[in-house]
Amino acid sequence: MGTPLESWQTGLAGTFPAALLPPGNTSAPLRRILLPAFILGFLGLLGGCKSPVSERPIGTAVEIKPPLGLPPVPIPPDNPPTKETIALGRRLFYDVRLSKDNSLACASCHNPTLGFTDGQQISRGVGGMGGVRNAPTVANTAYLPLQFWDGRAVSLEEQAASPIADPVEMNQTHEVSVSKLGSDPKYQSMFRDAFGSKQITIGRVEKALASFERTILSGDSAFDRYAFGGDKSALTQAQIRGLALFKDPQKGNCATCHTIDRTYALFTDGKFHNIGEGVGDEDTFKDVGRYHETRRETDQGAFKTPTLRNVANTAPYMHDGALKTLKQVVDFYAGGGNSNPYLDKEIRVIQLSGQERSDLMEFLKSLTGELPPNVGPPGKE
Amino acid sequence: MKIFHWLNHCCLFSAVVMTLGCSNAPKNVPSTGPAPQPAPSFYKVDPATAGSLTGTIKFSGKKPSPKLIDMREDPACVEAHHGKAYDQSLVVSSNGSVANAFVYIKAGLEGKNFEAPKSPVTIDQSGCWFRPGVLGIQTNQTLQVTNSDPVTHNIHPMAEVNREWNHSQGPGDAPLSRHFIKPEIMIRVKCNIHSWMHAFIGVLPHPYFDVSRDDGSFEIKNLPAGTYSIAVWQENLGTQEQQITVTPHTNTSANFTFKGK
Repeated sequence: MGTPLESWQTGLAGTFPAALLPPGNTSAPLRRILLPAFILGFLGLLGGCKSPVSERPIGTAVEIKPPLGLPPVPIPPDNPPTKETIALGRRLFYDVRLSKDNSLACASCHNPTLGFTDGQQISRGVGGMGGVRNAPTVANTAYLPLQFWDGRAVSLEEQAASPIADPVEMNQTHEVSVSKLGSDPKYQSMFRDAFGSKQITIGRVEKALASFERTILSGDSAFDRYAFGGDKSALTQAQIRGLALFKDPQKGNCATCHTIDRTYALFTDGKFHNIGEGVGDEDTFKDVGRYHETRRETDQGAFKTPTLRNVANTAPYMHDGALKTLKQVVDFYAGGGNSNPYLDKEIRVIQLSGQERSDLMEFLKSLTGELPPNVGPPGKE
Repeated sequence: MKIFHWLNHCCLFSAVVMTLGCSNAPKNVPSTGPAPQPAPSFYKVDPATAGSLTGTIKFSGKKPSPKLIDMREDPACVEAHHGKAYDQSLVVSSNGSVANAFVYIKAGLEGKNFEAPKSPVTIDQSGCWFRPGVLGIQTNQTLQVTNSDPVTHNIHPMAEVNREWNHSQGPGDAPLSRHFIKPEIMIRVKCNIHSWMHAFIGVLPHPYFDVSRDDGSFEIKNLPAGTYSIAVWQENLGTQEQQITVTPHTNTSANFTFKGK
């Protein structure tokens, strides 16, 4: 026995071939069936084929407690995190069935053991397809107003399913993903628990993934204990000197973009800056970055400021993974980046002694924090 | 008048280069602009009319005492340099010969349009040192920048006539290729990361230049017969000029002496 909804769908599908017949050739009784069918079809088109399945979580919203050094997590009104959506998102995040050849999961490029990055210069998609950018960490992306290096997604929800369908990433259409997941009874029950019915839609997948990702928070580093926890012994003398250089506009000038606030620190302003990385021989950018979204000339070669939390564990660096070590990064900035017409005004040659460069690197190592215990691969429940 | 003629050639050449560079230009579209420009005609030296020019650069003053360079700012550089590094801004041999002076034809070639060689001129960053420290290049010839060091450098030609630029190059990074499109004597080059590193590049619209060797000698070959102004530039000693006349199949000598205290 199908649900009333399912029989309605079957009934409608049955009338559609007849609906294609020219109206003049149809008998009166048939026309009585056809008219509502036409209206229904028309309404369907007007509605943009929007799924009638509710994508709102049904469970009780849970509070995601930020660790020391992080502010409250911003939550979109239409996707309050629940125990069920988070658990579902976690399962999806580690599921290789979301890729065309069942070889890659989200976690393949956002590996928890590598600070939710992949340690590669440029990430590889299914069949070794070459991407163009370095995998950014998922940790603390909950706080970012825009996602991806170029900010092309305005929410974690919008970001979440995009790599699944990207031809150089997981390369699987959303229809195929939905159908593959739908054949797993475990998912059917998890979707029912999370959203009220067993139907799988890409919108539900996005919401669950986003809610799980909002729990991947990293704080409580030595820096946090020093700056926000009142533990003045948490940093070494070299790290304390490095922190001062990091904040000093006349020296490192790092905190201008890798921000530290009074009560918390994201180490990113969430904005886009051109530091010259990736500029070609003729002052042009093969990867135009933010410009791709805004078409604003000054956004050429601008990329989102990445967080520096866990930076010691997330080499290589920059949107193209071109810098292999923290020393290379510090030297890159000390040298004033790469000149080009769109270079951010904050990028300039910095006079740093060898000791100062080493102090800055020591400070960056103090940003390695804890991750919550339940963000790794789900157990066999 | 002559200079205008020469500039005219330059413009013509740039226009053709720009046209050729536009590989995505649609084909078989009727041109509405001016008629296609002919390929630039480059000046070819007739060996029957060419001579050569040799000489030495001397310094009559007291030989400067070696000045040690301190690389301790970057310990990796101390290691990479293999031994002590000395200031090279004035290198004088025991008999007063000056190395690393840039010698070039300053005037007398106007109106002749020389094609840039296909082979690049390379500057390497090795042992946290630019090698060579003084070099010449033709306009539009490729300057290839390499980094043989285990550290990041940031090459910064502080050009005033050409476009100024700086670019970071990490260990193992691919070579950079750049061009200077206008003559400029001399472009000071520094590394934005290592304060002691510097080099000088002389950019000329012709191939008649040389850098003096350790014995102070230089040689300019295959120079069309004519009267020229030959100039020498040295980082600390400044510049000197003299008029010379080159005749076919002969070697003309031109020596320079910088007076010192």
